[in-house]
Parts: sequence; structure tokens; C-alpha cells
Amino acid sequence: MDFDLILRVFPYFLQAAVVTIELSVYSTAFGLICGALGTYARLSRHKLLRAVGTAYVSVIRGTPALIQLFILYFGGPQIGIQLDAFEAGVIGLGVNIGAYMTETMRGAIVAVDKGQTEAARTLGLSRSQAMRKVVLPQAARLMIRPLGVNINAQIKGTALVAAISVVELTYTAQRYIGSTYKPFEMFLLAGALYMVIIYVVGLGITFLDGKVALR
Amino acid sequence: MKTITNLLKSALAAGVMAVATLGVSNPVQADELDAIKESGVMRIAMSGAYPPFSFVNEQNEVVGFDPAIGAEISKRLGVEVEIVTTAWDGIIGGLLANKYDAIVGSMSITDERKKVVDFVGPYYRMSRGIFVKQGSDVADLAGLKGRKIGVTLGETHEQWAQEQEGWDVRTYKGLPELLLELDNGRIDAIVTDDIPVLLAIRENVNAITQLDTSGLAGIADQAGIAIRKGNPELHKAMQAALDAMQEDGTYLTIAEEWVGGDIR
Repeated sequence: MDFDLILRVFPYFLQAAVVTIELSVYSTAFGLICGALGTYARLSRHKLLRAVGTAYVSVIRGTPALIQLFILYFGGPQIGIQLDAFEAGVIGLGVNIGAYMTETMRGAIVAVDKGQTEAARTLGLSRSQAMRKVVLPQAARLMIRPLGVNINAQIKGTALVAAISVVELTYTAQRYIGSTYKPFEMFLLAGALYMVIIYVVGLGITFLDGKVALR
Repeated sequence: MKTITNLLKSALAAGVMAVATLGVSNPVQADELDAIKESGVMRIAMSGAYPPFSFVNEQNEVVGFDPAIGAEISKRLGVEVEIVTTAWDGIIGGLLANKYDAIVGSMSITDERKKVVDFVGPYYRMSRGIFVKQGSDVADLAGLKGRKIGVTLGETHEQWAQEQEGWDVRTYKGLPELLLELDNGRIDAIVTDDIPVLLAIRENVNAITQLDTSGLAGIADQAGIAIRKGNPELHKAMQAALDAMQEDGTYLTIAEEWVGGDIR
């Protein structure tokens, strides 16, 4: 175990961790938007919109995220989509996690007792009012934990963009191995930094969940 | 079920059409030399995992012979250089996808590659080497039959190794993986360019030794700089820069710094 080497390269791994965090934040934000739109489509009364939502979820969940990234990054230019590696990573990972978040959000909304909607409608609320004022606030509490699981998966999923040459934690470790021949130390260091990020985010989710649950 | 399938189809078709409309590119592209000069930056790609030609130093900078040559060419074209590291097996795909302007990455010039890219150069000469672990019972080429042989996916050596009778060829992402796998015993020999491995041996990084392959004739390759086809002006300018640096001694200085000698 080469501790000296670990100490020497540590600052550069921290810089790489910042890239991983940026990727996670942007792609999760984009994923939440995709998830909200997907949920809206999946629960829509319009057949076509529902079909689009279903197609989105089944296509994305039915193919490897790595293939989706390759199609976007390497295949994109062939059909006129020019993205740099970071942009492709954010969009690709965001669209990917959005499909999983769609199912998380939809599941939470469906899990709210049907009687709640019925009672709200009986009291004269419109369909969208019932959704916004009665169902969604209850569903929001139900979805925080599972969304946290999605976000956890997303942070680890950012390692995939190493394959399209974004210099984040995993690729930084791989590049250092190229000149140091020390895979154990380099991957261990990268893994430890992922764990720190995941741990902090986990604390945040638990805090958020406690907040809403108490209301 | 049927209607859903139809709906899916029409949604998909609409999506594809939308994307296709987005993607109508200019029918006549000017030479990329102008575009590079206008942006003021030339993006060059390499694996970054091929010491001493390209590797990451402890300060996390991509350095080596290839970045130095690329930087010198850019300087002579009057633009900044931006170095991109990417996996070797996708490096030509990335060039065609316009992720960078040139590959200055120790790429062998081959007829097959010439069909998809143009080459500036050659800028150095390389030869094939076969390496085994010190103390290996493999003594010559014939001894490699039935053994596990490691190569880098997409290299000319891979193709050559696949053609050999009775070799169990395993492909890897790059030279570091090959050296690690040879060292930990998962493979019995590696086929690769000899200079980087000879340097690694000299620096005592790995306990490996070169197999005597003097029976192999005509295994020297030329390394070239790949650019997208249809750019005669860019080709001319880069070739002129390369020629000029060979004449005024800059090339030799760079070669001596990174490889320890002239490698033309």
C-alpha cells in the first residue's frame, strides 16, 4: 500500500470528486424534471400522452445506461446532436434516472388512498385541485425515501461517464493507474470519495424525510 | 395492445423526424483549418494511458511525447492546444463524431484506418514486441501456442495476434491493463509496441522480459496523426509544422525528453 502516493494525488482526486458532484447534481435535477413530466404523462387521461410516458419508461429501463450514453455521445453527431462529454453525461444520465424517478413518483401518487380523491371530488374540488391540494402533499412524503434511493444510484451511476471521457473520479483513477500501475490504491481512493458523497447525501435525505414525516 | 404499439410507433417516428430536422448540417463545409483558427483552439486526443507517449503525471496533467508534439504543432498553427483523453477503442469514432480535431496518440498508419481518416506524418516509427514475465517457460514464438496472449483492443497488434494459429487472445483497454495482467499472471504474454515496454523495463516498473522475435520480418509500423477526411488545408498546415520542427531540432528535443532518443 503506497500511502505516500495516495497523499500526493489526493488533492487531484478531490478536484475530480467536484466533477462527480456537479454531474450528480445537474443530472439529478434534470432527472427530476424528466420524472415529473414522465409521471404527468403516465397518469394523464390522454391515451397518446400515456403511451409516450410508457414508451419513455420502458425504453430507458429496458436498455443499459452505458448504451444510452454511447448513443448520445458517439451516435449523436451522426444525426446532428453535438454535445461535449460533460453535457452528454448530464443529459444521458438525467434522462436515464428520470425514467426510474417516473416510476417512483407515479408509485407514490398511486399509493395515496383512492378515497382521498373521491372525498375531495365530493367536496367540489376539480380533478386537478384534488391532485394538487390533497393527493400530491401526501404523495410527496411517500416519495422522498424512494427518490433518495434513485439519487444514491445516480451518484454511483456517474462512474459510467468515464467511458465517454469525462474526467471524474473513476476516470481519474483509471488515468493514474496508467502511469502509476497502482490499481488497488487508486480505486480504493476513488471508492472512498464516492462513499463520502453518498453518506452526506444520505444524511440529507434522512433529514428531509424526518421533516415531512413530522408534519 | 395493437393501438398502443401503433401509438408507440408514431411517437417514435415523430421523435426521429424532430431529431433529424435538428440535424440538417451545412452541405458544404469549409476546411476545418479555418474553423480551428477561428476558435483559437485545436483539440487533440490520445489515450493518456500509454507512457511515455501519453500519460498522466502526479499533478494530474496529461504529458508525454504525443501531447508535446501536438502542442508544438498547435503553437506553429498559432492556436492553443486542448488535450482530450479517451478510451483507445473509441478514439476514431470520437474523431469522426467531431469530439476533437486530431488524434495525436501514437496511432499506427494502416490501410484500413486510411479509409476513414487522413494521416499527417508519420511522426515516429514503432515496432512490435512480445513480452513475457521474467522466469516464464515461454522461450520463443512457438511456445506461445495455446497460451493466453494479451493485446489492446483496436491496435494493429490485436489483429495480428488474432491471425496467429492456436493463440488464446484476450483484449484489454490499454497498455497499463496489459502490464498489470501480465504481472498478476492472468495472461502469459503481451503483444504491443516495444518502446513503451522497454522503457518500463528500464525503469524497473515491471519484472518482464522481451521474447526474441527476430524471426518476424516487416513488423515495423509508422505512427501518424489522424484528422478527419476532406481537410487538405489542415493536412498541409499540420504536415508543414511537423516538417519544420523536425528540421529545426525541436522534434529531437521532444523525443529525447520523453523517449530518450530519436525514434524516427
